[in-house]
Formats: sequence, structure tokens, C-alpha cells
Amino acid sequence: MTALEAVSVYLPPTRVPIEDLAGSLGLTEMQVKLFRRFHGLREVGRDPDMSLSDLLMKAAAGLDALRGQEHRVRYVLYARAMPVVAPYPVNPLHEVCRALGLEHALAFTVTQQSCASGLMAIDMAGRLLAADIAAAPARPDLTGDPAGPLALILAGEKAFTHDAQVFTDTTVFGEGASACLVSASGARDRLLAYASNVRGDFDNATGENDARLQREYRPLLAEVMLRALDEAGLTLDDIRVILPHNVNMVTWQRMCLLLKFPRDRVLLDNIPTSGHVFCADLFVNYQTACERGLLQPGDRYLAAAVGAGGGATFAAMVFEH
Amino acid sequence: MATPETAAAEYQQRVAETMTTTLTRLLDRSEPVTLDMRLMDELGLSSTLALELLLECEDELEILIDVEQMDQDQMKTIGDLATFVAENSRPS
Repeated sequence: MTALEAVSVYLPPTRVPIEDLAGSLGLTEMQVKLFRRFHGLREVGRDPDMSLSDLLMKAAAGLDALRGQEHRVRYVLYARAMPVVAPYPVNPLHEVCRALGLEHALAFTVTQQSCASGLMAIDMAGRLLAADIAAAPARPDLTGDPAGPLALILAGEKAFTHDAQVFTDTTVFGEGASACLVSASGARDRLLAYASNVRGDFDNATGENDARLQREYRPLLAEVMLRALDEAGLTLDDIRVILPHNVNMVTWQRMCLLLKFPRDRVLLDNIPTSGHVFCADLFVNYQTACERGLLQPGDRYLAAAVGAGGGATFAAMVFEH
Repeated sequence: MATPETAAAEYQQRVAETMTTTLTRLLDRSEPVTLDMRLMDELGLSSTLALELLLECEDELEILIDVEQMDQDQMKTIGDLATFVAENSRPS
């Protein structure tokens, strides 16, 4: 069963109040007030001196479990929201792989589901590893290591264009990165179920679907969350904590009303100080949950994300800590 | 001396008047918004504009609205929203 072996997160220490971003983002005074008062967004991480590779490396450097295990890493997946993040021929993913001694791994990017790509990357990594193990007799390179193969999932982006900095009237993106080691059969943070709903019909190129997406956003997210729980044979009553995407406070306050789930069991702590850290939200919130002692061995938790952009993807995962 | 009931009724009236006046301006309508108008079907009020309305009401009435308790699905008309605000707000 797919499992998260280790998670590391890096958030730039420099925080920028959203008021300071208003000019460059073209936000009105009312939009800034809405972000702060109802969306609960106060500041985001920014470090203009760090490259994307630097950012990802900072997260990977904190992954102690990777040291000495590089030979076991077969896949490096970079989950990101933005399709293009660097000018050709710069390739931050390959730069990071070289720096980490992972040139032997198959490295690729997962971006088609915007900010929900992080969850898809976990599912994909687990499937690839499980398939490799199933094929192990024919793959002598895998049979020699009883600990089994690993995948490394990287997430996090530089907020370098207008679209990568703000989603109008919805969220402000913050810089940060995460690195997560995934195994096919680990004992901790085991993936019990994954549900997603990919909706290309919410394409936002013309803006004509925006109102419908706003209307259907919460019911569709609730549907995948409940479907993931159902596939895991659980209900919301079994869930210790929800690790949300950091889109904004008001969305999750209303999700709690819709799901009839206590708001104090949704980890919203990082929204005011870090904003929406692209695909890294799950990992950022996981680390906070662990640091705050919110997860005990055996606790089940639910992760949820929405990727909106060229279409919309609603995704949820159930884990056992 | 006003009883708590009459004070509450007066407050709800102030909220309702502020809300209809503000929304008429935000929607740039020539005809005034009335309390029986439906938020989505009739006025096409988006979530964002609804929040902007609440923010303007907070500023105008010098109150803080407890939006955490607001179940948007239960708010069908402007009157529903005004009643919610009157019952779930405090002086700022």
C-alpha cells in the first residue's frame, strides 16, 4: 500500500503583507480588504533571490530519510500547478536531481491537474512502484534491495507571473516547497483511498464558467472527499483532521458547514501566513499537523485539493498515520 | 426605554436598509433592491460580491459579522442575509 515515508517542507522566512503586493497585482483596496477580512490571507512567503531550483533543494535538503537511500529512488515526480516555470533550456527538476545524486531516476513533471497535481503525483508514484515490485523477477535491479524502491515527490513554485501570484478574488499564492519520499508498501502514512473528479468543462479561458465553478465548487469537493472516505470504508466521524488546500478561510468555513465537520479539526493555520503554496499545501499542512501533535499513530486523516485553471480537478485522499 | 425586542428589531431594520442600499449601488441598478429579491436567481449575486456586500455593511454599521456561521445555501433572499447579519454580528 502506498505510503509517505518522509516529508520535508521549506517556506521562505521572508513574508510579504498582501497590501504590499496590491500595486504589482493590480488589486483594488476592496479586494485586499476581502482577502484579509474574509479569506484570511495576511501575508505570503517570497524570496526574490532564490531560484526555483534553490527552493526545491531547500525542501529536499531537509529530507534526512533520503540520505544514503538515493539508489532506491526510481522516480522523481515534480508536482506543480503552472505548466511552464523556467525558460528553455533551464530545467529545475533535472538540476535538483543532479544535485541530489538522483540522475539514475526517471524524472518527470505532473502539472495537468493544477494544484491538485500533488495528490495525483502521490497516487502515480505508488502505482509505478507497485508495478515495479510486481515485475521484480524480470527487473534484477530491484530484487537486490529488500527495502524496496522509492519515489521522490517535489512540489512548490516561484510566484513569478501574475497568474502564479493571485487567483482573482479567491487566493494569493505563496512561495515554498516540499519533498516527500513515497514507498509502495510502507508502514506509516499509508494511503487508504484516492478519489478525483477531473472537469475539463470548467475551463476558465473565457471566464464564462467562473460563476458555475464558484457555485459547484464546494459540492464537488465534498463529493470526492466523501467518495474517498467511502472507498476507504470510513466516514467523516473516523477522520481526526482534514488537511485542506490553502485556498482561503471562507471556502473551508463553508465546507465545514456543508460537511457538518468541526472547523477546529481542519488545519487552517497556514493560510494567513503562507497563502496557497501551490501543490505543496498538503505537505506543508501535514508537517504542521505533525509538529502540533495532531496526528497519533493509527489516526486517519483526509487531504483535499482543488486544481483550477484549464478546467478544474477535485481530489481527496485518505491516509492512516 | 427601548426593550431588547424593539432594539433588536430596530437593528435588523438598519441592517436591512444598509444592505439593500449598498447592494443597489454595487449592482448599479436603477431600481432599488428589495428584501424579497432572490440572491442568485434574481440578482445573480456571486460569492465574491456577497462578501463585498458584507464588508461594506461591516464598515457602514461598524460591526463584525460572524461569517463562519453563514451557510450560503440557506440564504435565498436579501432578507435571509439581512436576518443572518442582524443575528450574527457584534460591534467592531
